Amino acid sequence: MKGTRKIILLSLLVSIGLALSVIESSIPLPVAIPGARLGLSNMVILVTLVIFGFKEAFIVSILKSSVLVLITGSVSSLIYSLAGGIVSCIVMFVGYKFFSNIFSLIGVSILGATGHNIAQVSVAVMIMSNIRVYSYLPILVLMGLFTGYFVGLSSIYISKNLRKVLKYNTEI
Amino acid sequence: MTKGDKILIVVIILVSVISLGFVKNSLIKYDDKYISVQVNGEEYQRIYFDDSIIGKKIPIETPYGRNILEIGDGEVRIVEATCSDQLCVYQGTISESGEIIVCLPNLLIVEIKGIENSKNIDYFSY
Repeated sequence: MKGTRKIILLSLLVSIGLALSVIESSIPLPVAIPGARLGLSNMVILVTLVIFGFKEAFIVSILKSSVLVLITGSVSSLIYSLAGGIVSCIVMFVGYKFFSNIFSLIGVSILGATGHNIAQVSVAVMIMSNIRVYSYLPILVLMGLFTGYFVGLSSIYISKNLRKVLKYNTEI
Repeated sequence: MTKGDKILIVVIILVSVISLGFVKNSLIKYDDKYISVQVNGEEYQRIYFDDSIIGKKIPIETPYGRNILEIGDGEVRIVEATCSDQLCVYQGTISESGEIIVCLPNLLIVEIKGIENSKNIDYFSY
């Protein structure tokens, strides 16, 4: 894929991820646990990873975290968001690249969600310097299982169709 | 969904349910306990339970924000906070030692701690 085309597609993906993050922050969740999210924007990272590769997914993930701070205005959440994004990106890459014969995208997405949760809670433990914060981790991981399943399922359909569209467009 | 996915899901459910039980079990019941208010990783204030303090509201003012605690009979909750998500208010009441309320934006943790060596008869009878 040519340079300019790729830059445009990647920036579109970043903006879709930002829009999803903003939308999901206005969806109320039935549990009151700090850091519990739907993780819809993880869909964008996973699709980027499948279609473009690790480097691009990493760039999209970091850009999404840093621009999201400008939208929400909470600088303190940047470090949580970055840590979660980087770890989940690396975990999903390893899962997709080396274990794709074992896991489908659903498994890769669940792995990413679990990595995201572990990274964020570990950062919270370090910042608050209280090991008790880890007691939220099992519930967060269980919730990540459900959201990760649906994110993976959607990513399968999105990447299948997006591949077709991209192929069709390059032929023109 | 492949077989590997299903195994992964089952393993994650097992591990988290087991650790959830482990967390619940690690809450030891102490008769004497106090509230430890921690801000930015350091203990900011200790509040001891007392009959005269029941129903009182204690404001915690820090550079990171303001939270108001309400003390009950051996329990505590946050009734008001300046943070954006208000999750600390929705987390409700805690009463066992080891339980925490976290307010991430205000870097605040309210933890109930047990006072050790408190009339623990079994401890000495060996």
